[in-house]
Amino acid sequence: MNFLLTNFIELDLVTALQVILLGFIGGTLSGFIGSGGAFFMTPGMMNLGVPGIVAVGSNITHKFGKAMMGSKKHRELGNVDRRLGAFLVLTSFIGIRIAVWINSALFEGGGDGHGSGTSAASNLYISAVFICILSVVAISMLRDALRSRDTTAADGPSRKIANLLARLHMPPDIRLQVADVRVSLWVLLGVGLATGYLAGTIGVGGFIGVPAMIYVIGVPTAVAAGTELYLAMFMGAFGAVNYAYGGFVDIRLTLLLYLGSLVGLFIGAYGTKVVKEVMIRSVTGVTILLCVVSRSVAVPAYLRQLGWIDMNPEWDAYFNQASKVMLFVAGFVGAGIILYNVTRAYKRRRRIVATLIEAPKPSAGSHG
Amino acid sequence: MQVICISRGTLTGGKVLAERLAGALGYPCLSREDLIEAAVKEGIHVGKIEMAMVKGRGFSDRLVLEREHYLAFTRAYLCEQALKGQLVYHGRTGHLLLPGVDNVLRVRVVADQEYRLKAAMQALGLEREKARRYVEEVDEDRRQWVHTMYGVSCDDVSQYDLIVSLQQFSVENAAAGLTAIAQLPDFQMTPASRQAVEDLRLGAKARVFLARDDRTYRASFKVSASDGVITVTYLPQDAGLAESIPPVLESLEGYRSIRTTMATSNILWIQEVYDPTSEAFRNVVEVATKWGAAVELMRLAPGSAEGAAAPGEVLEAFDGTIPQIQPSSREYNGGIEDDVAEGGQRTWAENGGLKQTVEELARQGRSAGGREVRGSQTHLLEMIDRSVPYTMVVVGDVFLSKGSAAQLRLAREFRSYLADNIKTPVVATDELKAQFLFGKRDLFRLIGYLAVVLVIYFLVFTHQRQILSFLSGEGWVMKVVAAVVVFLFVPIVAYSYGTVSRSFLKLIKIE
Repeated sequence: MNFLLTNFIELDLVTALQVILLGFIGGTLSGFIGSGGAFFMTPGMMNLGVPGIVAVGSNITHKFGKAMMGSKKHRELGNVDRRLGAFLVLTSFIGIRIAVWINSALFEGGGDGHGSGTSAASNLYISAVFICILSVVAISMLRDALRSRDTTAADGPSRKIANLLARLHMPPDIRLQVADVRVSLWVLLGVGLATGYLAGTIGVGGFIGVPAMIYVIGVPTAVAAGTELYLAMFMGAFGAVNYAYGGFVDIRLTLLLYLGSLVGLFIGAYGTKVVKEVMIRSVTGVTILLCVVSRSVAVPAYLRQLGWIDMNPEWDAYFNQASKVMLFVAGFVGAGIILYNVTRAYKRRRRIVATLIEAPKPSAGSHG
Repeated sequence: MQVICISRGTLTGGKVLAERLAGALGYPCLSREDLIEAAVKEGIHVGKIEMAMVKGRGFSDRLVLEREHYLAFTRAYLCEQALKGQLVYHGRTGHLLLPGVDNVLRVRVVADQEYRLKAAMQALGLEREKARRYVEEVDEDRRQWVHTMYGVSCDDVSQYDLIVSLQQFSVENAAAGLTAIAQLPDFQMTPASRQAVEDLRLGAKARVFLARDDRTYRASFKVSASDGVITVTYLPQDAGLAESIPPVLESLEGYRSIRTTMATSNILWIQEVYDPTSEAFRNVVEVATKWGAAVELMRLAPGSAEGAAAPGEVLEAFDGTIPQIQPSSREYNGGIEDDVAEGGQRTWAENGGLKQTVEELARQGRSAGGREVRGSQTHLLEMIDRSVPYTMVVVGDVFLSKGSAAQLRLAREFRSYLADNIKTPVVATDELKAQFLFGKRDLFRLIGYLAVVLVIYFLVFTHQRQILSFLSGEGWVMKVVAAVVVFLFVPIVAYSYGTVSRSFLKLIKIE
């Protein structure tokens, strides 16, 4: 079966522009938040009628090239711990392989055999993992943001988990030079496996990889972000090859995503320099939470297609539409706040010369 | 004025040695505990800072300000004590609070594990295993503190003048040895080192004033002082406080004028001769404006770097005879060259255009101050304030007295040395344009890659069905070919289009 042709998405100008916009918003959020932006782009494409597996395959392929560009820059800044990356890459490959295998199996066995329902099981599975994982991430981020607004709070991200694992003494320990930490090999393997599995399932790796490196391994934030991109490059390549081998990469979608995402990525990264940390966490948390709600709205349609609930098939379109609107609201709200701040900073930079104040010390007489 | 900083490990005997040395020299002895006590009296939550560091937590906005206040307060306190006369300080890494003061004698005291375990068991009444754990944990806490505060490792021996092990060396003999070493000309006060301490004190004191005042205590500031001129940089979100800075500092003693400017980060520019009309100056200012950064100048006095030994270089073979004591490669000069003529006026040739360039930067709202340093490459590293998070270090023309080929080679080695030792990108002034500013090369690159991108997209979107048919072909051979094609094709698109978009944003100055 020639899957891509039988599920061919007609890319007229409006659809193409929507994919570019998805890429731009995903890229802006990604540059600002530091994750891959897949949480927005994958469901966005699914809402445009792209089967879940093709959306994930095309997005992970897009992630491969994007991470390659990003990790090059981070390497120049000394933010990449290659040893950490190497350990995580190996286990991530196994994680991705498991994810692709589950996804393919669900795709082949799922649905009621009528039209779009053939991919319902796979779509439901992807949506379920997406909702569970990103709900936890969003709530944690919002809680962190609220806590750091309290000016008397003395602490940032906790290292409780990293310290607890260090006390368990699970040899052999690995010394990570760049990150300047010592960690058990078993912890590294666990983190790699989980990151790979999620990257392969929902195309989201950074949301798990970066916090895991910070909280579980105890890596500094900049090194976690740099190493994650290094890792994402390999995982993206491996994911792309796997999905391409299965015939699930729609290269047109990948190319359209690039058109928006790389511009958005640079703008988002610029935004991180001019926006306060609390704002970054709040925008990220709210955006992800809205994406989770958007994906949840689409779930009843998948359940009906699998025959698990009784619902008028005509309602599928409404659920899909509501999900799509919600997602775009999430993206627009998040990207809007970021772009607003970037524009303000851009304007402020032009006024900067006027900020110079020169004040000679007042003479003793002037004090009266 | 003489300052001896003793960096002590956990229970290595450093405290006893410092007290014995201070007694032998007749100097006052100041400990880290005294410093902390003064900081607590000032109202700084040192305990919270320490806990956040020890537990490896990040810093909340409030704690970042506490840390700035703490660093400024301890620096000002140490400088004031030093300016009173002589001082022996013992703590973690006190010398890092005095960057640029070249007569500080920096001593690290170490002892083997057994010595420390016994000391812990005796002093704290612990069993051996608990004592071992205690020593390890305190060591780790100290490492964490120094790393977080100054971005360096306290175990890095290159930052000390002497390492003293009390294992086979009695405290009395170690103190006697240090007393003799402290008499060497390298560790005597010069007008330059006194001026450096004055500048550090003034800058730190100004920061403390800003932290104490209700109008400005909520904002983050970078403050430096040079020759009585205080430069304060603040973040864009604190622009509303700018007008309050001069009144807050009005009662501060010893300054001539205050310059305040908005900046999101700092760029350090190292060069021998500055010229505010040069292309290098324009490029640095353009990059700084683009990034919203302030530029700090560090003038490398001519002849000082090349006269010194490069790291690892042996100056001359030791022939067995004890040489007459001479000032070492820091070019001890009694401060004669650093003396400033009456009225503070030095000619262009004398200050290498430093003063004029700082003035021009100030006029453009980009100045973070400037200073002159002399000494070897290693010495230069000590001059760089590690508590300032520089975005970039720019290295301009250095080793000017050498031939052009040697100049190129030495400058390249110098940049590599800096890059290896500070966690900040180091670039040459002539690379600035290519890397960060839009030039002709970028224009050609933009056009070239744009053409490639257009061709790729045209071909893909005019052959959609053929391409999709190929990508989802049947049979394992076709599948492998499809996977290989995707693997090779995607990076080409990403690189080409990434270059186009980056060049375009560079053109419109969003980076």
